[in-house]
Amino acid sequence: MPLSSHIGSQLVDLCSALLLLTCFAIVAQRRLSACVDLFALQSAFLALTAALVAFLTGHHHIYIAAALTGAIKVIAIPRVLKKVIERLNVKRELVMNVNVPAGLLICGALVMLAFFITQPIIPLGFLLTRDSLAIALAIVLIGFFTMIARQKAVTQLVGFLVMENGLFLGATAATYGMPLIVELGVFFDVLIAALIAGIYTNRLQDAFDSVDTTHLTVLKE
Amino acid sequence: MIEVFVLLIAPFLAGGLSLIVHRSALLHAINLTSMSLLVGAEIMITGTVLKDGPFTALGQLVYFDALSAFILFIIGAVGLACSFYMRSYMDDQVARGVIAPTRLNLFFFLFHMFLLAMVLATVANSVGVQWVAIEATTLATTFLIAFWRRRESLEAGWKYLILCSVGISLALFGVVLTYYSSQHVLGDVSEALNVTQLLPVASQLNPHVLKLAFIFILVGYGTKVGLVPMHSWLPDAYTEAPAPVAAMLAGVLEIVAVYAILRIKTIVDHAVSPAFSGGLLVLLGFASFATAALFILIQHNYKRLFAYSSIEHMGIAMIGFGVGGPLGTFGGLFHLLNHAFAKSMAFFSAGNIHRRFHTVEIGQVQGLAIAQPWTAIALMVAGLALSALPPFASFVSEMQIVTALAAQGVPGQWLGNGGGMVTVAFSDRFASLGFTGLFLLCSLLAFSGMLYRIAGMVWGTPPEGIARGECWTLGHLPIMALAAALVGFSFFIPQPMRQLLEEATRIILVH
Repeated sequence: MPLSSHIGSQLVDLCSALLLLTCFAIVAQRRLSACVDLFALQSAFLALTAALVAFLTGHHHIYIAAALTGAIKVIAIPRVLKKVIERLNVKRELVMNVNVPAGLLICGALVMLAFFITQPIIPLGFLLTRDSLAIALAIVLIGFFTMIARQKAVTQLVGFLVMENGLFLGATAATYGMPLIVELGVFFDVLIAALIAGIYTNRLQDAFDSVDTTHLTVLKE
Repeated sequence: MIEVFVLLIAPFLAGGLSLIVHRSALLHAINLTSMSLLVGAEIMITGTVLKDGPFTALGQLVYFDALSAFILFIIGAVGLACSFYMRSYMDDQVARGVIAPTRLNLFFFLFHMFLLAMVLATVANSVGVQWVAIEATTLATTFLIAFWRRRESLEAGWKYLILCSVGISLALFGVVLTYYSSQHVLGDVSEALNVTQLLPVASQLNPHVLKLAFIFILVGYGTKVGLVPMHSWLPDAYTEAPAPVAAMLAGVLEIVAVYAILRIKTIVDHAVSPAFSGGLLVLLGFASFATAALFILIQHNYKRLFAYSSIEHMGIAMIGFGVGGPLGTFGGLFHLLNHAFAKSMAFFSAGNIHRRFHTVEIGQVQGLAIAQPWTAIALMVAGLALSALPPFASFVSEMQIVTALAAQGVPGQWLGNGGGMVTVAFSDRFASLGFTGLFLLCSLLAFSGMLYRIAGMVWGTPPEGIARGECWTLGHLPIMALAAALVGFSFFIPQPMRQLLEEATRIILVH
């Protein structure tokens, strides 16, 4: 069925593009709670993409991954982060290492870099998800950039989670999901990492009266 | 197969029991029992591997060969030493009120989970499961590093968590790419990430994908190893972590991360010329070696001194693996072992010094030879071994690496972009001599910095108010055993150990 596979591939591309778009929105957003909302939205798109790939390819184990994404990244982690933010005395990112317009430009460059790096290996991929690998790498790089550009512990954590989303999209796109045992392990690790980071944010707030990581400068040469 | 179960179940059960037990003596008893069981299982597995060759167990989930048995040996030896040392150290911390007695069981729980994750990372057959286990080591240790709950420890723990998690995420992308390439050969099966499946077909995997995968994995696990420029969390974490934890981080965790890189390297080397991965390893190795040597010169904090020395020695081992050949690879593996022993010994001594002097500043520690004569000797032994002086085994391994470097030069094919390789010829005689010279210069810098600082701590008269004389504890036992091993290995490597090292070398080398 060439027509339906063509439409399917378009749909997957659309969903991946929406994921990338939310990345840009996160980079442009200053309010902490809105960043968390955008992350939840991105995860919802990710779950949708995974479910779509599962439906189109008939790989049922991807449904499990999609459901776990929904439960952990759309519901559980954003709720934890919201709780953490409620306790903080800062609602907005006041000082940024890179301002928003420059940040968006850099992200644009990162997307081009991602397409450039993956160019030689893309023809190997499955037809359905061929372009998503480049988008996945772009999301990983943008998440990485967010962690460098922002100073609040919460936004750094969101950056890390965005990276994880990119990786998950990469795994779904390039290989129709990792082996189930690996995927479950990765979900477990991400959940624990987010919980631990939440606990840290509380402790940092208590110890430094701030979650601004620029205060973390006691240890240096 | 009972030993395989014991290996995985012992730390798991011990961790669970630690959560419900509150008496300190009982916690230590559980810890020592589980460590002894682990070492026993490890010895049995090594015996099987040496006799019958590599084997898988638990439905292909775990895989043992000489290389993983060698890493398990380091985990067991350093872990057991740590358990003995913790007996006196942790009780002392509780008595001084640094650690609340109610939090002791949390410490042991995290310690056992850390151990379990490292064992799992070593024995996992699937590269993906190995990734999960290595990320789990980060999660288990971050609160161990921040266990003192001071501002500085929180800072160190947070940096460690964030930097290592990010690094490891990049490694996951590398694992995804490995799966991407193996699927084309092996098909869409969940075993397509297993080392036992990947190795036989490695030469058919797509070289472009594998190159990209190796770069991501090297950067990712390199962050855990503490290679420059991904090292910035390491000195902070080692300084703030309690001494036994620092010993485990420096002595074992780094080596497990190196092991993960070596596993991928053996696969990549089948598909791509070994000069590719070797060149990258040498590059990062020299960056780490040179940077750490300079920072060792300016240290005024003895725990940071040992931390930078860790970066230095991991750099040296990476140069050994990168240069390759039987000599370089053997030297690299042997160096890992020597470093694990010397560094855990150094951190045990550092813990003893900190308990007496209550400071980490080198300038405020004087007259250790009078205040704690036996710790002073231990510190000297560790320092000399870390400076790679004879008669310590690290001298032998460093000689092997530098000989391999001088003889073979640096692998010639360096990284280009994903498409065409940019080839830089480094194989001529002059460059090889230059690299050897750089190696010797860096070791001279590190050696003088290390000895100067340690001599300043050992000699002189102790400050007022510092008690004199060693108080003997159970913690001195592992220190003496490690010192004996460090001297002993330079004259004589026991036959099973030599065989293990030689077979592990053969596994890493690709013909």
